[in-house]
Amino acid sequence: MATNTQAQTQAQSLMKLDNKASKRSAMLLEQNVSRPRRDRVGLSAFAFLFAEIIRYSQNRVLGIQELEAKLSEVGQRVGVRVFELAMWREKTVHRETRVLQTLVFINTVVWRVLFDKQADSLERSTENDDEYMITDNEPAILKYISVPKEMTSFSPGAFISGIVEAIACCCQCPARVTSHVVPADGLPLRTVILLKFDSEVMDREKQLEASK
Amino acid sequence: MIHALFIINRSGGLIYHKNFSQHIVQLSSNEALIFAGTFHGIHALASKISPAPKRDTPRDTGIQTIDTKNFRMHCFQTPTGIKFIAVTDLMQTQLTGALGKMYMLYCDYALKNPFYNLEMPIRSEMFDTKLLQLVQAH
Amino acid sequence: MEKQYKTIGEDAWKNNVEKVNAELFIFTYGSLVVQLVKDYEDYAAVNKQLDKMGYNIGVRLVDDIMARTSLERCSGFTATAEVISKVGFKLFLNVAPSVASWSADGKEFSLIVDDNPLNDFCELPPKAVQDGLWYSNVLCGVIRGALEMMQMQTEVEFVRDVLRGDDTSEIRVRLLRMLDEEVPASDD
Repeated sequence: MATNTQAQTQAQSLMKLDNKASKRSAMLLEQNVSRPRRDRVGLSAFAFLFAEIIRYSQNRVLGIQELEAKLSEVGQRVGVRVFELAMWREKTVHRETRVLQTLVFINTVVWRVLFDKQADSLERSTENDDEYMITDNEPAILKYISVPKEMTSFSPGAFISGIVEAIACCCQCPARVTSHVVPADGLPLRTVILLKFDSEVMDREKQLEASK
Repeated sequence: MIHALFIINRSGGLIYHKNFSQHIVQLSSNEALIFAGTFHGIHALASKISPAPKRDTPRDTGIQTIDTKNFRMHCFQTPTGIKFIAVTDLMQTQLTGALGKMYMLYCDYALKNPFYNLEMPIRSEMFDTKLLQLVQAH
Repeated sequence: MEKQYKTIGEDAWKNNVEKVNAELFIFTYGSLVVQLVKDYEDYAAVNKQLDKMGYNIGVRLVDDIMARTSLERCSGFTATAEVISKVGFKLFLNVAPSVASWSADGKEFSLIVDDNPLNDFCELPPKAVQDGLWYSNVLCGVIRGALEMMQMQTEVEFVRDVLRGDDTSEIRVRLLRMLDEEVPASDD
């Protein structure tokens, strides 16, 4: 009997929770996502949050590679959502599945959504056919970070490369994406996002080219 | 012109010290530490011996400038207790604007840098660069 | 007083603050929470970690507010509450929660966060609601950390959250003691 009542109360409380949850779902469904609900928050808010994410991650990894992998993971979850929103909003954009279209989509649409500007350049690697580079001369979200001397190989842009990796994947062009700080004159944080497309993607490209 | 800058943390420790001109002797790191600690103490005492009545008037915030025959020292203490102390020539009657900008640089390039530990010496290339630009433009 | 801080906050937001796309920020926060849920596999521990990370942010972020507004130390806790809402929240999240439900002794108040940017796009799984996740708990830590740097020891916690099905979101702030005897804790 006692267990019965207990089960009943539990069921009731679950139902109550469920009611509350469905209220929230309804709210979200009513929300119009075709235009941003809000425009801007302070860059400081992002900078403090991102610094804390780096500090948190640093305490749970061994070495720079793992740290970058962790930041990339955080970025990938952002990328998936940014992709969905961008597809929804940019009515003129079709879901891209060709490599070059995908790259241009990232270089322009995604960068505009994320950073209010286009990336500074998009290039194909001169050494490897399957490698492309997107360069941002001054990524605003990284501008306050000074990497200490003992960590010079660390690129905080791993977060951005995570975003790009997720988006490339959403575009059916999976690639391994890494980030590298390549300073230029007066641009200490110039960041190069390197995409190396999977071999299946490159094979598909060749077939598509041939069938033209 | 701004000859030098010291930044002192909440407990009187020196977290930044830089000379910007040839006209000023480079203190040894030990001397600089002693300067920071001593100034911190005197600053605290100064706000204590302030004859201003405690009620209804804002609390005295301690030393703002110190003059000598050849230079002037300007101190700006943030509401959180960090001190920015600049050494200038005597022409410089007040330096609040520049010190406020330095405070902002500290917020941006020290506090928002994930590799900066609070209360510890500031080692950030970006901070050095931006600070130098600010001093030169002053 | 309320109006004065409103102006300070709005001025600084307009003229002295760099901005970033809100959705990038919101998704990044969401991704962090997911990471913590994966790392800790326990919602109570996630609450705690969010609060801790918020604290680390708060002890740093308070200077950013001061540097960008030339505010001085608040004369009392009433003013502090207004600054948190009209200046603090405004500068970082571009919202200004209302201050409500003051306790009789003037040491406790609530921030009603009707419009919490962190909540955009978020729906909690029932298990998270049941196990007591406070999704935006980072905010509590931020407030606690920031106030500690201004010599106020506080307790800050969420008591209601729309993500959990409540009508609104409410953060309760409780002043425990002033850490610096020189500053009178009484109001002006």
